[in-house]
Amino acid sequence: MLENYPKEIVLKGGIPIHIRPAEKSDERKLIEFFASIPAHERWFLREDVGDPVAMGQWLAKLDYVKMLPLVAVLDSDGSIIANIRLHRRQSNCVRHISHLRIMVHPAFRGLRLGNWMIVDAMKLAMDMGVEKLVAEFIAGIEEPGINAAYKLDFQEQARLKDYVKDPKGKYRDLVIMVKNIHRDWSDF
Amino acid sequence: MPQESGPVDSSPVRAAFTRQLDSGPLTVGPVTGTGFSKGLELDNGLGKFAHYSSIIQKLDVFESIVQGPEGKLCLALLNDKVVIGYLAGWRPSENDRWRALEDLMFEMGAIEVSRNYRGQGIGDLLFEAMMADEFFEEKIAYMNGFSWHWDLEGTGLTMPEYRRMMVNFVKRKGFKELYTNEPNVAMRDENFFAARIGSKVSEEDIKKFKNLRFGIKP
Repeated sequence: MLENYPKEIVLKGGIPIHIRPAEKSDERKLIEFFASIPAHERWFLREDVGDPVAMGQWLAKLDYVKMLPLVAVLDSDGSIIANIRLHRRQSNCVRHISHLRIMVHPAFRGLRLGNWMIVDAMKLAMDMGVEKLVAEFIAGIEEPGINAAYKLDFQEQARLKDYVKDPKGKYRDLVIMVKNIHRDWSDF
Repeated sequence: MPQESGPVDSSPVRAAFTRQLDSGPLTVGPVTGTGFSKGLELDNGLGKFAHYSSIIQKLDVFESIVQGPEGKLCLALLNDKVVIGYLAGWRPSENDRWRALEDLMFEMGAIEVSRNYRGQGIGDLLFEAMMADEFFEEKIAYMNGFSWHWDLEGTGLTMPEYRRMMVNFVKRKGFKELYTNEPNVAMRDENFFAARIGSKVSEEDIKKFKNLRFGIKP
């Protein structure tokens, strides 16, 4: 599966990039990338990706079976401009499910980069035998992500009212979106 | 292992490979000219798709393909008479995105092996016979993997499994899955687009092809 990387993409405006799995040697570039994400968006991540020490530990423990991070890399200078992670638990009852988490550099939004990252993750998930993809979004904050997910056939399956707090202490809904990987024509 | 052989006078194909099957001798190779389909028959295991009407319903279609622009056809013939597999390719049509690169692109448009003869490497032989032509070194040969063409019922595979099988199959033939926003490919998640870039294709043309995959015309 991973031998098919890197995957070439040309973004709107003719910007060539490629997608590939993140590696331990990406530490500095990942720190720079996450530093570019506005603080109010980083707030909602489950890990402190802004902390170089935490990032180093995260990369040191990299296990593609449990969590596969893909990065979008700018061909021109090698900088990382997006990250998507496929989390997969190994228990028999949930190993057919993969959870996605995506971040896109603010300077590269609106170029369909997030779309391509999700498409790539979906195709990879198919190859891994995943049957269900789950993505979580914060209502009122991550609307572009929600809209992109709808276009890619994700459906809102649950909304946890007032579930998370934003940096100002305001409660926000957590939207859980699910996409089923079609196995045959009867799925339609 | 397939045996290479020279032309076989009694066969309408220029034999690239011959092999003995349980039901008789198999000949696989390209056809040229006209009138080659006279006396041939289509095996009854061809064209069986629950969700797709094959373009190959009659032998006349093979003649039309070969007579069309850059039309190429390889047949797998049993007993020099019964078509049990085919691989057909052609220059993309005028309204196709890939025509923006003029004659650089070549579509591997249709491949099928009869349900009665699958799992015997006949698809491999068809591809190898087709790709042996030096013509392909100056071309970008491409293939659309549209799931509505896939015989899920006949193979018993799921869509992800069929997709994996096809991508691995074309990969063995030197093709690589590439991303494109071409609407038909993008229509369904399991669809794929794969291409093989000939050894004589220039770097400039490779770059144009890369851009065109994402709708940026030269």
